[in-house]
Amino acid sequence: MRITIDNLTKKFGDVVGVEDLTLHIDDGEFVAFLGPSGCGKTTTLLTLAGIYKPTEGQIRFGERVVNQVQPKDRNIGMVFQSYALYPHMTVFQNIAYPLKLKKVAKNIQRERVQQVANVMGIGNLLDRRPGQLSGGQQQRVALGRALVKEPDVLLFDEPLSNLDARLRLTMRGEIKHLQKDLGITSIYVTHDQVEAMTMADRIAVMNGGHLQAFDAPDELYSRPKTQFVAGFVGNPPMNFVSVEVSRSNGRFIAETDRLRLEVGGDRGGAAAGFAGAVVMGIRPEDIQISGDGDIAGEIYVVEPLGREDLIDVRVGPHSFLLLAGAETQYRAGEEVKLAFDMDKVQFFDPQTEKSILWQQ
Amino acid sequence: MAGAGSIEMGKIKEAPVAPPIRRDLLEALQTGAISMAVMLIAAIFFSRIIGPLFTLGNVEETVTDVLSRLLLLVMPYVAYIAAASVARRYTYIDTARALGLAFTTTLALFSVVSAGHYVSDTGVFAPRPALQMTLVQSDAGIRVESVVAGGAADLAGIQAGDVITAIRRDPVDLQAFNRRVSQSLEGDPLRLRFIRGDEELQETVRIVLLSGKHFNALLPGLAFALAFTAIIVFLPGQWAPYIALVGLLSPLLIGYFWVIVATFSFRTEGLVPLDGNDNFGGLTLKNWESIFVGNIAGLEFNIVPIFMTSLAIAVVMTFIVLLVSSMAGYALSRMNFPGRRFFLSFTLILHGFPAITLLIPIFFVLLRLGDIPFIGELIGFNTIGGIALVMVAFQLPLGVWLMKGFFDNIPWDMERSALIDGASRWRTYWEILLPQIRPGLLALGIFAFIGGWNAYIIPATYSIGSGVSNLPVFLEELIDATAPVDWNQVAAVGLFQLIPIFIFFIFAQEYLLNIYAGGAKGTS
Repeated sequence: MRITIDNLTKKFGDVVGVEDLTLHIDDGEFVAFLGPSGCGKTTTLLTLAGIYKPTEGQIRFGERVVNQVQPKDRNIGMVFQSYALYPHMTVFQNIAYPLKLKKVAKNIQRERVQQVANVMGIGNLLDRRPGQLSGGQQQRVALGRALVKEPDVLLFDEPLSNLDARLRLTMRGEIKHLQKDLGITSIYVTHDQVEAMTMADRIAVMNGGHLQAFDAPDELYSRPKTQFVAGFVGNPPMNFVSVEVSRSNGRFIAETDRLRLEVGGDRGGAAAGFAGAVVMGIRPEDIQISGDGDIAGEIYVVEPLGREDLIDVRVGPHSFLLLAGAETQYRAGEEVKLAFDMDKVQFFDPQTEKSILWQQ
Repeated sequence: MAGAGSIEMGKIKEAPVAPPIRRDLLEALQTGAISMAVMLIAAIFFSRIIGPLFTLGNVEETVTDVLSRLLLLVMPYVAYIAAASVARRYTYIDTARALGLAFTTTLALFSVVSAGHYVSDTGVFAPRPALQMTLVQSDAGIRVESVVAGGAADLAGIQAGDVITAIRRDPVDLQAFNRRVSQSLEGDPLRLRFIRGDEELQETVRIVLLSGKHFNALLPGLAFALAFTAIIVFLPGQWAPYIALVGLLSPLLIGYFWVIVATFSFRTEGLVPLDGNDNFGGLTLKNWESIFVGNIAGLEFNIVPIFMTSLAIAVVMTFIVLLVSSMAGYALSRMNFPGRRFFLSFTLILHGFPAITLLIPIFFVLLRLGDIPFIGELIGFNTIGGIALVMVAFQLPLGVWLMKGFFDNIPWDMERSALIDGASRWRTYWEILLPQIRPGLLALGIFAFIGGWNAYIIPATYSIGSGVSNLPVFLEELIDATAPVDWNQVAAVGLFQLIPIFIFFIFAQEYLLNIYAGGAKGTS
């Protein structure tokens, strides 16, 4: 099912939930809505579900305009962060509830519920009540309930937030696999950029009720269109520093207090063409501690992450996060030399926060 | 031996070092003194500040006086408890020390209290009624050993050697005589009949108040205080709440006990069932029998329709209250509509509005409604429907707020989930939300049912002179119609009225517990 969102605005009184959102989601696509709390991603999801009615704009499922269609007539399945299972019903009754509402015959209900439960690995729990299940099992029941009526669209509202880290990893893979298997158009709301990056075909990054970017994960990562996207996508986050880029002798130099770096031709050229200071962004993995680096700094703190160490290096007033192999033995207070991979830096307009390199 | 010695050393090191007894004593005394001071200030506050304030407004009351006296009375014991609680810490380690500490403190506090009594002529040193003569019990009567010269007895002409036989015409022994004296007030005349030699004489003696300052009167008080302290020190801590609870509940428990005993007895004196000759016994089923026979002291009635009226009012009312409250509560919790805030605050005000003030206006409303055909027969004056409807109206504000609170606690997601699963809003309410608030419905249902079952004012007002009367109204009629009132019979009808409530509670409680044990876990 293709989903078309055109100029969607949803207001609650004077409070703007989401403003002027335009998105086109292809059939069978897995789209993640990514953004911090209160960015409007859940509002958008609930508007798609029909719980909220759009203030302005249009939502189409396929060719059908669904603005005023009741949730029950949209044929969607939804999984909630709180699971939202019905505590007074058994697992079987929970999963069968959408079928019961569709007036599916009892024996077919039983067959379909058993089938879905087996796929979800909860086939032996059908007589239990939600209160007797673990968090992961409850989440599977919720997923089963969303899938059992064979929906055209699957909506996920931070479904993994309440699970422990290990289970989250497992469920992440399962949901992705299931979605590809069934080919149901899915929208997945999350504030966890790792979840969005790993699961989604395309990510819609939202902030303050506005769409910041809508692109494939790799594209968002390597060609962020706004400073917000650059800072939100990627862990640890991108380093930002305000620099002046100038051209001298056919080379481009990014310069600020205690920093003087040569930038590659294309990127440097665009940045130099901008009048005044720009925001330079560089990812932690693009900075190396190396003897032949040309920037001197002092290690402020070392955070071992196991596979690698996260190191905060201070260069004058600037602070850079970077990653070093776990085998290295850096200590706080140590003087180091940094090498910047200047072919991967990003430049942003400090006023509009839009990328100077990649225009929308 | 060296080894044993080192173990001893180790033990000493591990044991908590007890603070010097001087410090504990000081702390105990301080605690006792502070609690005493607080009680004293409270007593003075009531008698000297609040009391006069009432008097200023020409209000006659004895509450402040009683309160301040009560505070003064319990003041030393509160102080003993406070001081003993300091000593309690040592009961598990060093009993002697705990007891010594508690007794020393109690002694000190007792001395302070007694000194206070001595100075202010109160307590054991309060002036007592006396006749100023010494008496002994003899075979012939109470023999006067000596009289105080110029005292009350002397002035009346009583002499040593007289034998008192009676006060007026009532024969007395020494015990009864002393009781009579101690219960008299200053100046009360006592007409004594006594024998002097062979003569029988009568003289009137007037009671005088003597401030005795008898220090031996202190001893029983001190013994009691020490015993009290010892109990406090060794009382297991977990008993304290139960003792307090039983103490506070005892009036209620005694009341219920009386009701039950009274219904099965001919007559009661206090809690003791008596028969016609004032002897213990007289147990009977007569009181219960007459309820079902339908004749109490000549008042003819049939209990079945009365019972059914009570039941009908309660059931109709419970049903309507539950239906309307849950639906209104849902709307107020989940929907946004103009006037919602006003409605909420207005219902809250209504809840605080005394229903009695509307009694007469509603009387007229029901009277007019009664004139309308059909509707009048359903909810007009003198109908069960009308009575139930009025009581529903008074119950609704509470019900709506209660239900709103319960709906507020259901996560939005559960409702959204049901809507997305394909349920209509009505069906979501019925199948998904109502089961979540079952405890609330049950609680409100119990309130409404009991309210309807026990209702008196409204049924009594809106069913004047008609056959419609429920149990409370019948109870009132019963008290009115019989003179003197047979209270044992009234108790039986009252207990009969309580039976359905008991049954209702037994089942509801089981159900409530089930819901709380099973249902709440699922809503994580």
